[in-house]
Amino acid sequence: MKIFWENLFRKNPVFVLFLGFVPAVAVASSAEAGLALGLITGVILVLTTILNYFLSLLLPKNARTVGQLVVLIILTVSAHRILLTLNPQVVGTLNIFLPLLVANSLVIYSLQENDLPFGAVILDSIGKSLGFLLALVLIGIVREFFGYGTFFGTKLFTSDLPPLALASTVPGGMIIVGLLLALVNMVRGQGGELHD
Amino acid sequence: MTSGLDVLVQAFTSGNLILAQGLGLYAFTRYTQDVKKAAKSGGITLAAMLLGGFILWVADGLAFNTETAELGLYLLVATCSALIVRMFLPAKFSVRDGLFDSALVGLILLLGRDGVSGVNVLWASLAAGLGYLITLVVMATLRERLELAPIPKALRGVPIILITAGLLAIAIMGFRF
Repeated sequence: MKIFWENLFRKNPVFVLFLGFVPAVAVASSAEAGLALGLITGVILVLTTILNYFLSLLLPKNARTVGQLVVLIILTVSAHRILLTLNPQVVGTLNIFLPLLVANSLVIYSLQENDLPFGAVILDSIGKSLGFLLALVLIGIVREFFGYGTFFGTKLFTSDLPPLALASTVPGGMIIVGLLLALVNMVRGQGGELHD
Repeated sequence: MTSGLDVLVQAFTSGNLILAQGLGLYAFTRYTQDVKKAAKSGGITLAAMLLGGFILWVADGLAFNTETAELGLYLLVATCSALIVRMFLPAKFSVRDGLFDSALVGLILLLGRDGVSGVNVLWASLAAGLGYLITLVVMATLRERLELAPIPKALRGVPIILITAGLLAIAIMGFRF
């Protein structure tokens, strides 16, 4: 279970590993959008990891990348098709960012080979998925509060003017995510340098 | 989009993949440590974008009756262009190392969504790729200056890159084409 909790907090994909910034900046302008994309990404990530585990056993090393990408495309297109039937509104809200899951750096990063046993691989991907979901919802809550003055769609201020309309835009998203990362670094007592 | 120049200027400003659309942030945070690395990364992605645009232009005549099939085609085009460009790169370079980037896939999806067709696809791909390359180089130049600046520990690295990118993005929001 250690691997699960590590991915949730100590190795959080967004706040610590600096992955999945595109959804955080371009999509998570509200808590609901962050929750929706976080959930879909989580399901795709877990399924991809499971299928990737078996693919790595079946395919030769030089054909693995192509196989992994094809599986990822099939899963993403299937998710798009299912959501289009179940909830077309979500597909409309997420726009190109739903199929863009194919190039999500967190999902691509999870395709890297490791020597973990099957159970640990699943726990690892569930931990990463929940960590990513947590981060997107948190970023969505902060951006929604400043950008629209609401919390999960519920109005918090009597005034029609939001506290900081810029927060709901891409530039505002970059600044808010940057400040949240700095806050996490301050709590952890570390800098935000990238380490390969 | 009325002329080639309009498309080009739009790709640098209001349609900039990184600063206006929020795409390609993986490469933006990881491959901008120095100008050379940024130019190399941007150049490779530009080549993949051009190739993707070319394939899309060739496949323009294909008619699909469902949105899902069309989406599958766009994702396959992006994947094929990344894999083909990868064939011309040194063996140590992996598709996962930023080549199969959200900027590349996002561009192909945006071209499809906006209904860009004919030779305009090539122009739009070239313009978007050049805009992407220049943004990476500009950020690399800024990062070289930031290295020397007295920045609080918590803001060093990725946080200051994102905040700087946000301020750059606000600056280009002033342009409307």
